[in-house]
Amino acid sequence: MRKRRLLFSRLLTGQYASLWVSVLAILMMFVTAGILLLAIGKDPLTALRSFLQGCGMIPKENYGGGSGMLTDLLDFLNYLAPMALASLAFITAFKAGLFNIGIAGQMLLSGFVATVLIGYNKGLSDAAAKPLVLLTGFVVGGLTGALIGYLKYRFNIHEVVSTIMLNYMISYITGFFINKNFVDMMTRNSTVCTPASRLTLTNVMIGGMKCKIPLALIVAILVALLVSFLFRKTVPGFEIKAVGQNRRCSEYIGIRVSRTILLSMGLSGAIAGLAGVAYYLGYTNSIVPKALPGMGYDSISVALLGSASPIGSLFAAVIVSIFQQGANYMSSSVGVAKEIASLITGILLLFASCGNYMKYSAERRIQQAADILPDQNAAPGTKEREDKGVEKQ
Amino acid sequence: MNKVFTDGLSFALPLLIMAIGALYSEKSGVTNLAVEGFQGVGAFFGALAATLLSPLIGPGNQVVIYIAIVCAALGGALFSCLHGLLCIRFRANQVISGVVINILSVALTAFFTSAANTAISGSASNRFVLDVSTRFSVPLLSQIPWIGGLFTDMYPFEIIIAVLAAVMWYLMNRTRFGMRLRACGENPQAVDAAGASVTRIRWIAVIISGALSGIGGICFAYSLLGNFSPSIYQGFGYLAIAAMIFGNWKIGATTLACLFFGLAKSGGLQLCIAAQLSSSYTDLFLMLPYILTLLLLVFFSKKNHPPKAAGEPWDKSKR
Repeated sequence: MRKRRLLFSRLLTGQYASLWVSVLAILMMFVTAGILLLAIGKDPLTALRSFLQGCGMIPKENYGGGSGMLTDLLDFLNYLAPMALASLAFITAFKAGLFNIGIAGQMLLSGFVATVLIGYNKGLSDAAAKPLVLLTGFVVGGLTGALIGYLKYRFNIHEVVSTIMLNYMISYITGFFINKNFVDMMTRNSTVCTPASRLTLTNVMIGGMKCKIPLALIVAILVALLVSFLFRKTVPGFEIKAVGQNRRCSEYIGIRVSRTILLSMGLSGAIAGLAGVAYYLGYTNSIVPKALPGMGYDSISVALLGSASPIGSLFAAVIVSIFQQGANYMSSSVGVAKEIASLITGILLLFASCGNYMKYSAERRIQQAADILPDQNAAPGTKEREDKGVEKQ
Repeated sequence: MNKVFTDGLSFALPLLIMAIGALYSEKSGVTNLAVEGFQGVGAFFGALAATLLSPLIGPGNQVVIYIAIVCAALGGALFSCLHGLLCIRFRANQVISGVVINILSVALTAFFTSAANTAISGSASNRFVLDVSTRFSVPLLSQIPWIGGLFTDMYPFEIIIAVLAAVMWYLMNRTRFGMRLRACGENPQAVDAAGASVTRIRWIAVIISGALSGIGGICFAYSLLGNFSPSIYQGFGYLAIAAMIFGNWKIGATTLACLFFGLAKSGGLQLCIAAQLSSSYTDLFLMLPYILTLLLLVFFSKKNHPPKAAGEPWDKSKR
């Protein structure tokens, strides 16, 4: 037992420590969610299976006409694209030590502006509208993010407070304009945007199944590679990381902290803007007034679970999206309220945020084992006690 | 005009008690962005208790409200232990922990509200409907011209909050515990050297913070909303934090900031009604507190003096 525990400690301190921390967090999430489901009298394994079925990863028992496993899978990928982009947005700010909680607001604003400017413009062709949508999202989101960065370094306003205030303002003001000018009387949402501007190709027939092709997923993967390149190979990326680790030291060695904060926050907002158009002009094609997308907050779990690595967060996005996207089917087939998806995401976030502590305690355990090994017989009592203490943590 | 003061005060006081909660935690050196979550979960426990008890005690009985307030404080305190666990025990990043708590609380309350409603009434509704709290006017004071509105149509909980705020001021500024708590936020090493336990003081501060925020939450549920539903998460917790920042981490100044918010909110709404604008314009006026927050932060954030050690996990071996 003792040896096995040490083995795990080695994994948590070794080369792939971040990966193992995420794996551990996911395992703990499964255990907690399983206990929760058992407590309300449902079978966790059936629930898990129907989550996967809802995402088109396991075939369902029966399908409606014109749909199949591929339909569900592509729907899932359609949801995954904005989720991955949103988490990349969080990472870009997080590397500079900033918490962009305003991704939801930035998504909503850029989605709204792109819908109004491009989505309602019937004269644009496919080839013109789609790049313009992406560009609008990028610029609007980027400006919002830059504003937060400016408030941060110029006026010392904590970005969590300013982003939340902006979130509510954006939600109210877009809600006001949608209700006043763009509301669809039937659905109470904004009127739908033109198919030409939409980043998802709908009603594509593949093997007799009606499918949606998410073009935004390509954008998401490209952005992930670019962000990864930015932080690995470029000077601005290095400066952002340096500022995130020690602001004073970076200032001392001549990095312009104000500019770096502005850059990382602007970039973060811009990617959030891309996520916004991928969500509002891709996954959906209309906007619910006065509702911030929950994805803006889920993306924080995704980013922390992916230990703030761009590529890692792509995989983390898959896991979180399975629960969010599969929740509807799970809810109807197993009969658990679909709010459990957010609860599972929250629990995952909870464990992922303890990642540093896991590494820290694993390091200490190895240290202790190294201290104790030379004289095994010295004081078995104390060793036992320390051991238990660590285990509890 | 009177309505502006009446509504303003009934919004400002729950905000104040939440701001004091945040202040306790921050003064002890634990950054607290989790107020939003604490107030939601506190309100959930209060509303759950009220829903369970009101058939037993009888409808319309005002005792339910006081029990709900106590339960909200206990629930908030219980939930705040999670923040304590993450920040104090597990030494997680305190800002992350606050955000985690807020996200988790929305999910937790949404899930358990519909679960509890299914168990009680059989329908999976996401809200607890609460009784209406009675209101009263203070006999003589409410006749004063201009500020009489402050004393008309008061909720009983406003008195509770005012008394509690005074007690909390005394505890923070006039007792040995309060002094140690403030020292924990400035120089925890000194507290440790003086023989007090930094960890214990911080735990107590975080739990107080949860309890006070919970009270704020249930008061909002009883006054402003009239029910418990996900609409309790309207950013009140963040407004409270903003009020605390204007107040420069002092209870007296924070009270003024909260009153200002309350009056701005109710004033904006009354202005909208007075100008006879259509209901869709209320959305624009509802934005007012958030815009004011941001503007005021622009002017006040630079000169502020936050607790020096806030945000750092306590490490005995550090100097």
